[in-house]
Amino acid sequence: MAFRIHRPETVDEASRLELDLDGDCAFIAGGTDLVVQMSRGQRAPAHLIDISRLPGMSAISEDGSVVEIGALVTHRELELGKGLPQGTDAIRDAARQVGGVQVRSIATLGGNIANASPAADLVPVLMVLDAELELRGPHGRCVPISDFIEGPRRTTRQPGELITAIRFRAPGNGSATSFFKAGRRKAMEIAVVNVAASVTLGADGACRSVRIALGSVAPKTLRAIGAEKALAGSPLSVAAIREAAQLAADCCAPITDIRASAEYRRLLVKSLVERALVRCSEQVEQSAMSGISASADNPADLLERSH
Amino acid sequence: MKRLVSMTVNGEEIELAIPPYRTLLDVLRNEGRLTGTKKGCDVGDCGACTVIMDGSPVNSCLVLGIEAEGATIETIEGQHAGPDLPHLIQEKFMDHGGAQCGFCTPGIIMMTKALLKENPNPTESEVRFAIAGNICRCTGYAKIVDAVLAAAEDLRKGRTL
Ligand SMILES: Cc1cc2nc3c(=O)[nH]c(=O)nc-3n(C[C@H](O)[C@H](O)[C@H](O)COP(=O)(O)OP(=O)(O)OC[C@H]3O[C@@H](n4cnc5c(N)ncnc54)[C@H](O)[C@@H]3O)c2cc1C
Ligand code: FES
Ligand code: FES
Repeated sequence: MAFRIHRPETVDEASRLELDLDGDCAFIAGGTDLVVQMSRGQRAPAHLIDISRLPGMSAISEDGSVVEIGALVTHRELELGKGLPQGTDAIRDAARQVGGVQVRSIATLGGNIANASPAADLVPVLMVLDAELELRGPHGRCVPISDFIEGPRRTTRQPGELITAIRFRAPGNGSATSFFKAGRRKAMEIAVVNVAASVTLGADGACRSVRIALGSVAPKTLRAIGAEKALAGSPLSVAAIREAAQLAADCCAPITDIRASAEYRRLLVKSLVERALVRCSEQVEQSAMSGISASADNPADLLERSH
Repeated sequence: MKRLVSMTVNGEEIELAIPPYRTLLDVLRNEGRLTGTKKGCDVGDCGACTVIMDGSPVNSCLVLGIEAEGATIETIEGQHAGPDLPHLIQEKFMDHGGAQCGFCTPGIIMMTKALLKENPNPTESEVRFAIAGNICRCTGYAKIVDAVLAAAEDLRKGRTL
């Protein structure tokens, strides 16, 4: 590890530096991915551009119905959830399952996205929130997160571009999000499979919108479009959830590696999608003031049985 | 090319000339001569290098020394209840047999301090969740958890961290 460090004071300066240094450099935010990659000799940039103290990238705010999270917000801050509106439980649940407290205290949301690991835990959550990234650089632009990540460690980021913020519409009434992750142990584990879901139910209980994202089962995080379509317009019954979970398991293309076999990953997708949808349905029910209706077809039974 | 970096370590402001690639862990151990903070894996997995930086527990092997410019760092060397008196958490680790070979202990004590500052009344599962980033190859964790819970109890009786 030998490099020069640069400390720009503004986003524009950081962007210009990266263009001037022409390739042989890397932005460093929390460093929890980059320092490990450098310690292992996987990357050896000649220049590091320290963006960890750039102004204006560390806040969580809500403007009207749009939530904005600065790219330098840490997973620890997301886990504590100050400033995150109702219906964003998936952000907290995913953030608290990243590494240990020591990693979460410095690992940033922008880094989790830019590092583009197929197992990144916040990426499926941001996908089901339909989040957009604000990129600043030679030409400012906003891009849906699903168009930003192309594959393992590959993004559409152009030289000189920084992720400065992540934005999404605040989930409204009748909306909920959830996140589930499976690993070989309960904490400090890179996901064998991770799943996020967002659901908006109408007053009649039918799904007005559903999004399901699957991580660690393909070169990049996938939306389970078939499963989403099957649920659209129908209530979240046990049968509908089961069918959607099976469709999700069928649509992914997991690989066998040192941590799990492809078959096992597919089973996990089915089980985690079920749980994620049940959790969303429970949350919508809890936040509706009408109390719990004793339905004979209660999706919560599915959760009980799957434990 | 070395850079001058100043930080406050255990209450003392120090200035060190360090190469930019040196991690905070190596800076503390080499330039800082504070070898209480241990190096297990050097890649964030084991927690042996845990220090408290600006109030938050961090893996010092993941932080570059130059990133600690201006920061306040607490390490195991700064923990005591008075001259020659062990810190409350250290005392409880001794009472409960929470340390065997002791290699993980400085990191776990720093993590415990950070936990108890935020939550002086943790449940057993909260303790286990908080120390999930600290690996111990000797104790099996049961005695560590006992020691942390005992420290929390004394804290609630009025002792300080
Ligand atoms: C022990 C350990 C456990 C972990 N566990 C998990 C886990 O459970 N789940 C998980 O998802 N991840 C995990 N990680 C990975 C890591 O912590 C996260 O991906 C983290 O969010 C990265 O953020 P950072 O700020 O540390 O990024 P850095 O390491 O600073 O940067 C990562 C990459 O992104 C680029 N970058 C950073 N910020 C920006 C920006 N704003 N604009 C453009 N490019 C940028 C950098 O140039 C670099 O290429 C773990 C890491 C460790 C060491
Ligand atoms: S030495 Fe830092 S976590 Fe292992
Ligand atoms: S006491 Fe030996 S590693 Fe924990």
